[in-house]
Amino acid sequence: MTDKQIAVDIIDIHKEFILPQNKNSTFKQTVVNIVKQNKKVTQKVLDGVSFQVNKGDFFGIVGRNGSGKSTLLKLIAGVYTPTAGHIAVNGGLTPFIELGVGFNPELSGRDNVYLNGALLGFTHKQMDSMYDEIVDFAELGPFMDQKLKNYSSGMQVRLAFSIAIKAKNEILIFDEVLAVGDEAFQRKCLNIFEQYRQEGQTVILVTHDMSTVRRFCNRVVLIDCGKVVDIGGPDKVASEYSRLNQ
Amino acid sequence: MKYLNSRNRAILREMISSDFKVRYQGSVLGYAWSLLRPLFLFAVLYVVFVYIIPLGKDVEHFPVYLLTGVILWNFFAEATTQGSLAIVSRGELIRKISIPRYLLVISSSVSALINLGLSLVVLVMFAIINGVTPGFQWLLVFPLIIEIFIFTLGISFLLSTLYVKFRDISYIWEVFLQVGFYASAIIFPLSSVPVKYHAFLFLNPIVQIIQDARYLLATQSSVTIWSAIHSFTIFIPFAIIALVVAIGGLYFKRRSKYFAEDI
Repeated sequence: MTDKQIAVDIIDIHKEFILPQNKNSTFKQTVVNIVKQNKKVTQKVLDGVSFQVNKGDFFGIVGRNGSGKSTLLKLIAGVYTPTAGHIAVNGGLTPFIELGVGFNPELSGRDNVYLNGALLGFTHKQMDSMYDEIVDFAELGPFMDQKLKNYSSGMQVRLAFSIAIKAKNEILIFDEVLAVGDEAFQRKCLNIFEQYRQEGQTVILVTHDMSTVRRFCNRVVLIDCGKVVDIGGPDKVASEYSRLNQ
Repeated sequence: MKYLNSRNRAILREMISSDFKVRYQGSVLGYAWSLLRPLFLFAVLYVVFVYIIPLGKDVEHFPVYLLTGVILWNFFAEATTQGSLAIVSRGELIRKISIPRYLLVISSSVSALINLGLSLVVLVMFAIINGVTPGFQWLLVFPLIIEIFIFTLGISFLLSTLYVKFRDISYIWEVFLQVGFYASAIIFPLSSVPVKYHAFLFLNPIVQIIQDARYLLATQSSVTIWSAIHSFTIFIPFAIIALVVAIGGLYFKRRSKYFAEDI
């Protein structure tokens, strides 16, 4: 396999966090801590994780709560910096750790589309060409000049989601977006995932839902206590996950 | 231009324009306030320092002299105060997306710079009404604005990084600005300070910038660093700016990787 077929290469990632109770947030505390020579209390969240996501993969990351999967996702998205190890990303990457990042309630729906689009990595011109599609998909045509604070929460989610799926990039990352929204909205998400799968879009998905994993993913990694427990086909890993939960 | 590629320019553009749109939301006069605010400030200062406490009656065009100092100082204070909060106030964004962190600091500084530009427009009108003869030397104010902008940017990088770890910074900086306001000869003419202290005052880059701007815009009798200092110390304000920018930039660069977990 050549390097060109690898979308994300994760090589021996370690991540430790300094626990907040020892954080020096005033000079006085800093001085006190230097005098006392407190040792920093760290928590190891990821401990030597390695795997590869290939281009065209619908890649699942599963694990129990607190297993480190969200931290891993933020490392891939470039929000966190690993303590040790290396992550190579080939191609543009758009993370949807949360929908509607940077949304400002005081701005109109239209302004928020451009703001959110810019934060996701698109120029004003690129957003111009996608704008109508986004509005159509969200079914919010008449409301785009209203301020976002006057939208219902359902309308806000619809707008955010429409930007997310229309503003495409080579690699997409989703963190349990399916957890929000009503049944109709969840169905819409699943339809989009189905479309991604058929198109060969590279997707990395973090989820708890094994039926989603079985339906869409072609490869899955199971993380537990900061380590890779299992990696492979969805059926094998999903049953390993169920066993772990018992 | 790796730092200002099309993607980063788009982010800057959207952040600055949304800042500006949100600022006067809900007000009847809207954007007009961005011109009315400096106008009212000027009116108040004019009455106070021309009729009530005439500190600068010996200075030609003192109202213009005063206002030049006030708007440049206000820019410095606004830009550095907003700049110091730039990272922490956008913590939500930093924890969810990996846009270059320095864009947040630059966007807050540019927002203040736009306000400075609007104030300068009002100042120019005011200067003409006050009887100052317009001249091409006014254009030399632009290099000074670039200088003060670079200085505030350096300070903002330093303070915003420190503020992530030490929330004391905002109070310390407030005190610092209070002291700086009186130490920079904003509301009184520098000529009223004994000459032996001039060399000391001109170590402050803000004094050098404001006095140069006053020389250009108000009166050529303004004391400037070029007329007051004749030794190598003339380079000190510029060295301070270079040092602050270097330290602020490097410290920011080193710590910005960890902003998402430190905030």
